[in-house]
Amino acid sequence: MILFAALAVMAGVLVSLSRQINGRLALSTSAWESSFWNHIVGLAFITLAAIVFGGLFAGTPQDAPWWAYLGGPVGFVFIAAGSWLIPRIGAAQTALLIIAGQMISGVLLDIIMGTAGNPLARIVGVALILAGMWVARSAKD
Amino acid sequence: MSDPARPSHPLLFAAAFGAGGLLSLMVLFNGTLAGYGSLLFSSWVPHLTGSILAIVILLALRPRRASKTRPPLWAYLGGVAGGVTVMLTSATMNSALALSGTIALGLAGQMVFSLFADIRGLFGLPQRMPKPRDYLALALIIAGSLVLIFLGGAP
Repeated sequence: MILFAALAVMAGVLVSLSRQINGRLALSTSAWESSFWNHIVGLAFITLAAIVFGGLFAGTPQDAPWWAYLGGPVGFVFIAAGSWLIPRIGAAQTALLIIAGQMISGVLLDIIMGTAGNPLARIVGVALILAGMWVARSAKD
Repeated sequence: MSDPARPSHPLLFAAAFGAGGLLSLMVLFNGTLAGYGSLLFSSWVPHLTGSILAIVILLALRPRRASKTRPPLWAYLGGVAGGVTVMLTSATMNSALALSGTIALGLAGQMVFSLFADIRGLFGLPQRMPKPRDYLALALIIAGSLVLIFLGGAP
């Protein structure tokens, strides 16, 4: 359990690390080119992992709805946005605002898709996040 | 240390928040794909289609390089860190941590390392000292996220 907890924390560290490395590349190139290298190098790495571990085409991926295949284009813009933002507002602010956006849009998506949830927790959670964004947004200390 | 840029510029603020919305869509799309195919497949496909779109965009926009000096070679390896992330989370999601524990601990690791990187100015990025206000914003947003992750599901 401790091992898995450490791995989960490490995954978060790697998300931040990856964004910083891509941001450094964008400083010398551009956010678009940085996202390109992130994707092409990641593709090579995962292809290698698939060759080693096998089972890439296991299951019934052909039965997935067509829109489930749209993650790539969205991810390309997402990585470019992170690479563009991190030298401008810093790693912590970039991460924090992305998390805020992810959480609030997640609640909206759940409501749109009709996923059951606890309405009180959703209201409290979104209110806390909006309050945090208001604090972050007021620039004067 | 020069005056640290803050996300007070509405465009930067909106872009970061909007990027979080894109991340939600990615999680929905890639997660749905993982429900039908393997976890490797659900990461391999978006990297493949993302690379194809990237080539089209680069050919169409031909963005100029910001600097004539070549970036260090390690700056090209961000995608490897992303690939390892997928493998780690696919292991922890299937442990007792489940998805909620994986996300919550991932947020913790992400924020602690981001603050550390800002304070030290790691990887050639500008150094920044967080102010008390930043820690308050962090506490509120992480608290709200934890409420949604652990209590937001169906009662």
